Amino acid sequence: MLTIKSLSKSFDKGKNYALEDVSFDLKAGDVCAIVGESGSGKTTLVRLIAGLERPDHGSIVLEDKVIASVDKFVQPEKRKIGLVFQEYALFPHLTIFDNILYGISKMKNKKARVQEMLDLVGLSDMGKRYPHQLSGGQQQRVALARALAPKPSLLILDEPFSNLDSMLRTQLRNEVFDIIKKTGVTVLFVTHDTQDALSVADEILILQKGKVVQKDAAANLYVKPNNLYVASLFGDTVQINKNLQTAFHCPLKEDCCHAIRNEKIKVNPTTYDSDCDYITTAQVIRKVVLGDSIQLLLKLESGEQLTVMTKDANISDTIHIGFNSKDILEFNQ
Amino acid sequence: MKQVGSNKETFSLKSRLKRLKRDSNRWSIFTLIIVLFLALPIIFIGVELFSGPGETWSHIVQHLLPEYIWNSLYLVVFCSVLVLLFGVSSAWLVSRFEFPFRKQLEWLLILPLAIPSYIVGYAYAGMFDYGGSLDLFFRAMNFDFIRIDIMNRAGLAFVLSISLFPYVYVSARAFFLNQANNLLEASKMLGVGERKTFFKLMLPLARPAIVAGLVLVLMEVLNDYGAASYYGVNTFTTGIFRSWFSLEEPETAVYLSALLIIIIFALILFEKWQVRKVKFTSSKTNNTHIQRKETKKSIQWVIFSVVFLPVLLGFVLPVGQLIYWAFITASTVFDLEFILISLQSFGIAIVSALITVFFALLLIYFSKWSALRFIKNIARIGVLGYAIPGAVIAIGIMIPTIALDKWLIDVLAQFGIDSGLIINGTLIALFYAYAVRFLAVAYNPIDSTALKVDNSIPDSSKVLGVGNLKTFFKIEFPLIKTGVFSAVILVFIDVMKELPLTLILKPYHIDTLAVKAFEYASDEMVMEASIPSLFIIFTAMIPVIFLNKLLIKK
Amino acid sequence: MKKVLVTIVAFALFTACGDNSTKEVKETETGQVVNVYTHRHYEPDQNIFKMFEEQTGIKVKVINASADELIQKMKMEGKQSPADVLITVDAGRLSRAKEQGLLQSIQSEVLENAIPSHLQDVDNQWFGLTRRARIIAYAKDRVKPEELSTYEDLVSERWKGKILVRSSSNIYNQSLMASIIANDGEEGAKKWAEGIVANMARSPKGSDRDQVKAVVAGEGDIAIVNSYYIGKMLNSPDAEEVATAQKIGIFFPNQEDRGTHINVSGAGVAKYAPNKENAIRFIEFLISEEAQTVFTNANFEYPILESVEPVEDIKVWGDFKEDNLELNKLGENNKKAVLIFDETGWK
Repeated sequence: MLTIKSLSKSFDKGKNYALEDVSFDLKAGDVCAIVGESGSGKTTLVRLIAGLERPDHGSIVLEDKVIASVDKFVQPEKRKIGLVFQEYALFPHLTIFDNILYGISKMKNKKARVQEMLDLVGLSDMGKRYPHQLSGGQQQRVALARALAPKPSLLILDEPFSNLDSMLRTQLRNEVFDIIKKTGVTVLFVTHDTQDALSVADEILILQKGKVVQKDAAANLYVKPNNLYVASLFGDTVQINKNLQTAFHCPLKEDCCHAIRNEKIKVNPTTYDSDCDYITTAQVIRKVVLGDSIQLLLKLESGEQLTVMTKDANISDTIHIGFNSKDILEFNQ
Repeated sequence: MKQVGSNKETFSLKSRLKRLKRDSNRWSIFTLIIVLFLALPIIFIGVELFSGPGETWSHIVQHLLPEYIWNSLYLVVFCSVLVLLFGVSSAWLVSRFEFPFRKQLEWLLILPLAIPSYIVGYAYAGMFDYGGSLDLFFRAMNFDFIRIDIMNRAGLAFVLSISLFPYVYVSARAFFLNQANNLLEASKMLGVGERKTFFKLMLPLARPAIVAGLVLVLMEVLNDYGAASYYGVNTFTTGIFRSWFSLEEPETAVYLSALLIIIIFALILFEKWQVRKVKFTSSKTNNTHIQRKETKKSIQWVIFSVVFLPVLLGFVLPVGQLIYWAFITASTVFDLEFILISLQSFGIAIVSALITVFFALLLIYFSKWSALRFIKNIARIGVLGYAIPGAVIAIGIMIPTIALDKWLIDVLAQFGIDSGLIINGTLIALFYAYAVRFLAVAYNPIDSTALKVDNSIPDSSKVLGVGNLKTFFKIEFPLIKTGVFSAVILVFIDVMKELPLTLILKPYHIDTLAVKAFEYASDEMVMEASIPSLFIIFTAMIPVIFLNKLLIKK
Repeated sequence: MKKVLVTIVAFALFTACGDNSTKEVKETETGQVVNVYTHRHYEPDQNIFKMFEEQTGIKVKVINASADELIQKMKMEGKQSPADVLITVDAGRLSRAKEQGLLQSIQSEVLENAIPSHLQDVDNQWFGLTRRARIIAYAKDRVKPEELSTYEDLVSERWKGKILVRSSSNIYNQSLMASIIANDGEEGAKKWAEGIVANMARSPKGSDRDQVKAVVAGEGDIAIVNSYYIGKMLNSPDAEEVATAQKIGIFFPNQEDRGTHINVSGAGVAKYAPNKENAIRFIEFLISEEAQTVFTNANFEYPILESVEPVEDIKVWGDFKEDNLELNKLGENNKKAVLIFDETGWK
């Protein structure tokens, strides 16, 4: 339902690209998360889709209609796209009810629709309040209700949870996506937090420096990342460079890049050959107790430093560590 | 009574006094001293109130007061409507749309401020009266029967509006450019069109900014003397002059001023109330600029015409008339002396602008650093001077300064020094008077930018053990610089135009352009007044353009 | 850009402040100055001051403001007032200054002899400098001069909706009213004002020139104005104004009885004048023939000296009989005049 073809945008006449040659598809009813660190072009991408910026190159097609291309541009208010802003952007001078009503004043039974939305987000009796009288989470839900009220064909959430503390965040994330699932709307969800993406998205699109590096189902991304950047987004990962290869005595292919997730490195493997293909010894520099597990900072003989986790409280100063060859991640590069 | 923490105990007079003592710091005291200093002229006038009105008070109440009230109200209402129409529409169109000559119009729209409103009044009368340019035009077109009389109440409202609307334009545009983008995008994403977005969203949100500009306009409207008396419209201000000079009853004039001050005070309270209502507007500065919309060429030209209209009426036409007059009188009036006078005016204006802004900064920050909350409201008393006619302030200034001068003369005489007046008739008195008169002009833009700086910024500096003053210079001042600069420029322009104060308090042989223009105009030599008027306009134009650059950069 | 700006500001400051201080120094050094508070803001006056400076070496320092403001200023400055001479544009203000003790009597044979006695103060506190007549300007095409006679006659039916006159805040109107009070009594004056208000073509506004233009434009038939404005309009740089003034006839009212209302612009020596001798010399100079010639030639006023001929433009209007009312009366009756204006609704 949403097709994006080689979309590019530069804010300085081509010297640097905020977004370069981005293409992807989105199926109706999907929840797609866009993940990337700050400056990776996430916001530019959604602003282009929403019509708040104009592309330099490429096209955007929504429900078989071209909404942006080099020679065509549909105004944002005509696109039927809902957008929930990072800072909510609720209208401070209007009540909650009027905020939701704002975008649907031409709709039939508009008041019923507003009430329906209020019920949906669980704020049935808050209609008469003003935004500043609500908590952050409630404001978030109002923003969602306001965006959903005009029945958009696509809903974009721009970093919706970044202003919230972690406890509230998980709870609200689940609430919001429960609501969204009920409506069946197609969702683009921008975040820098992989936990958010993994827990709600059907598909995840990874942006790095303005380019798409991988688009895949959530489970695949963990197992088969396209590069070290993607791998490290989903858990601490260490590159197996020449030094490590020497230390673990594991010669690997020259023309590839290899990495191992820290959590896959085993401490004091009991049986040498069964579990671990490659083993070395290391000095423990520091122990940090994190609840029931312990984080160890290790120094290898070659001087490399590594962080590993263990559950074993009785660790001597010199230990063995190792990993299995099937846990090695391999990228072309 | 002895219940600890009970309401009665907490709010008893005794514990209130205790907290008052605890919370008053040196900043509270400094604030009070500065307010006192700036309000001194007003207080001296106020003291006169206790001596009761003169014997003609009942005569005035009976014969004149209803007309004064009615005319002043008429002007307030009509000027509000016109000023909002001109100021808000142009501010919105230049911030939201792309159209031909937009950049030029953006600063041209500020220029009407550079012309004293009584000069605009003369220029319009000159165009519309018998033998004026418009009349000649109608005659040439054989429309002899058309004669538009502009010298009446409606004409005065028009003239004042067209020369004062930039106050609203400037503050509304600043809001639209810097504050609004976030919500504007939200509105578009909800599929809402341009018109509804403006009326339902931007207009109500911009209200505090617009009202702040409007209050300045109305203060100017209420104390206008030149244009009102020429157009034969009797207002409070013309009444003050009449009872003071024609009826020789300063006491009565003071009574009228007091009434005027009450009206102004009501206006200020109205503004505060407005701002409080929409105070929950996000104060977060949005770093994305509002995006201008490209429309069809034909519509672009329509927008151009709408925006150009106030420039045409407020600047091009009056200046055109002045240039025509200047052209036919140049041989008799023009003198190289004007260059010198321009420089003097420029120097006086810039120094008084700096002094006034300095006082405004002191008031705003000292009252902020004071732990007493009501101090902030007291600080606002300092801005009342803007509402009081210049001539009244001049007298209010002369009362204390002459007393001080006499005391100084006595003291110095003991040392065998014959000093003469030290403060009066020198620039000191004049600068003091300008500071009293124009504090409001400096206070508002600085205060509004200062409000935008989140408290956490200075607070974090203070937590690091840095004192108020250092925090101000290192942290806050750089953040509010734009507001401070616009304040300097606005006061500068106002001082350039100022008349009655300057006339009464100026030292010998210091001339300002406004005084020069007045000397001609007051003797019905309106045409001859055009050259000094043009000099005022061009001198004031330089900083106006500068002000615009600042606003845009932001 | 910034540097240029800073330079300009610095220079402007320098000239503004520098100018001030050097003048102050001169004043204390030589004492050869005369400080003039004047309401006459006419360009030609500046030339007369320059002539005086050249002839005597006495520096003329001027404060321009309205007479009311100047009087207020002098009152407040009291003994410290630097004012030597007060010049106003009407006798009423001078007599008010006298009442408030701001002026002093001076002995000057020159002034005593040259100025007609009704145009100077009985106590020699002030002296007229120029004469100005408040006359009736009429539309030549609509009004025959025979129809006009006196100020009092203007209340008749003939002038219903035809009279143009400016606001009562104007001092010339106040003085005219004061003279009517002196001649016809308060009751008579009030009746007269009511009659004029009833006959007004429009609500009072604008200047004397504007009244003349309105007559030509057909808004009314006659206007009560000061004579010299017509002279000025006839010599205006604007051709249209000249054409307008040419359509106007001048009528001197009350020739059969007391004469046309006359006012003077005049000068007095301040009570605490620090440079009294210079002040007297200055005023004497103002009634010298050369100064008087400038007054009439450049400003179209009637000279106070009978020996100086009025300028040709106003001479053609002919001689006329003046009201010889003692001019201090204008000051005495001023407040009454304003009250009557208010009561009768003359705006």
